[in-house]
Amino acid sequence: MNQRAFPAKGFFFLLTMLVALLLVVPTAAFAAQPVAAVPTPWWVWEIALFVFCFFLGIVAVIGGVGGGVLFVPIVSSFFPFHIDFVRGAGLLVALSGALSAGSPLLKKGLANLKLALSMALIASISSIGGAMVGLAMPEKVVQLSLGVTILGISLIMLLSKNSAYPEISEPDTLSKILHIYGIYYDEQLKKDVSWQIHRTPVGILLFIVIGFMAGMFGLGAGWANVPVFNLVLGVPLRVSVATSIFVLSVNDTAAAWVYLHKGAVLPLIAVPSIAGMMIGTKIGAKLLTKVHTSVVRRLVIALLAAAGLRALLKGFGI
Amino acid sequence: MKEQLHANKVQLTYATVLSWTSTLGIIFVVAGYLIYVFQLLPAAVSPAEIAMQWHLRAAEFHKVVPVPSGWDWITQLGRGDVLSYASIVYLSSVTMMCLVVIIPLFLKEKDRIYTMITILQVLVLVFAATGIISGGH
Repeated sequence: MNQRAFPAKGFFFLLTMLVALLLVVPTAAFAAQPVAAVPTPWWVWEIALFVFCFFLGIVAVIGGVGGGVLFVPIVSSFFPFHIDFVRGAGLLVALSGALSAGSPLLKKGLANLKLALSMALIASISSIGGAMVGLAMPEKVVQLSLGVTILGISLIMLLSKNSAYPEISEPDTLSKILHIYGIYYDEQLKKDVSWQIHRTPVGILLFIVIGFMAGMFGLGAGWANVPVFNLVLGVPLRVSVATSIFVLSVNDTAAAWVYLHKGAVLPLIAVPSIAGMMIGTKIGAKLLTKVHTSVVRRLVIALLAAAGLRALLKGFGI
Repeated sequence: MKEQLHANKVQLTYATVLSWTSTLGIIFVVAGYLIYVFQLLPAAVSPAEIAMQWHLRAAEFHKVVPVPSGWDWITQLGRGDVLSYASIVYLSSVTMMCLVVIIPLFLKEKDRIYTMITILQVLVLVFAATGIISGGH
């Protein structure tokens, strides 16, 4: 009991402090412009970014949130990098996480290749479009729309009730043509679970929107992929989460190339973020059994909402 | 063991290629970064010079700092900053490599729909990678 309480208390304290910091500390304190006047050695920012992303990785896993969605709004609030580079790094953080998680999920049969490929094709095209539009928009408009999007994501996360095993009475015609169905071994039920999907055209349309937003803000898109797979298409939750990671790897690859060509990727920002987040995610996975995940999740949603609010205020120049 | 039965040959091949290429990618990214920041190879731009301008928009930043972008670095692989950037380019190519590998497998299974979808997906990513659709930098 004591063992459980200690890390939980530490986490609540850390998260609450971060939420407070996001709301209380004025934007100017972290704004990009004053940095030139008060030069901080570059390596201090590098170490700070690594350590910050390490904790973000832990929090993301325990809160059941993708690291990518937390990365962009929070790093753009606390660090002196331009949001173009933060979005580029955000895409690479989400991409590298998806690439390293993808293989075991595919081998276990939890991620479904045909389901992912069917959705990713059009979504990756819209993700390229999103990246191009996002990099062409004025900074204030980016901050404003990022703020609105992040607040919307917090709301979705707060309200959406996923269904572990949705029941589909009849698959739709398109899913039959595309042979989208599957079977996986459910470790909780200790038996094979077969699944099929419906409303495929609606799902494809929604993935176009998701791809566009992921490319525009460099967010990764697990927050949207999973509800669409699960609640709209009727894919079991475990398969939804696993397949979402696969779709994310395709969409983020497409958008990442736009950021690379537009010069919005700096290894100095991307690599410490990727490394910190990956190590943090592994530690977070080990701590999962020691903390109350539902409470942490609520705090993470609060953190996300605070980051969204901050981006919104930045967009208004406040 | 039981779970493995539900992943078909194409999916297993994709997973195997992904596992190798992504692990290599992460090693490459970290190694490239360390070579750059510890200046084990000469670099056109030092980390300190980048840090002085990283508050600028990407487009403005590239007007004052000559760091690599797109494919303009390809002939300068001996530079630390270029090596670090090249590792990111490799990481962004992993998905493409995995998709290319499964096209012959779909063909062998006479799965025309997914052969076509996978080819189209690779084309989309190749177009993005060439910079044709994003205008390059």
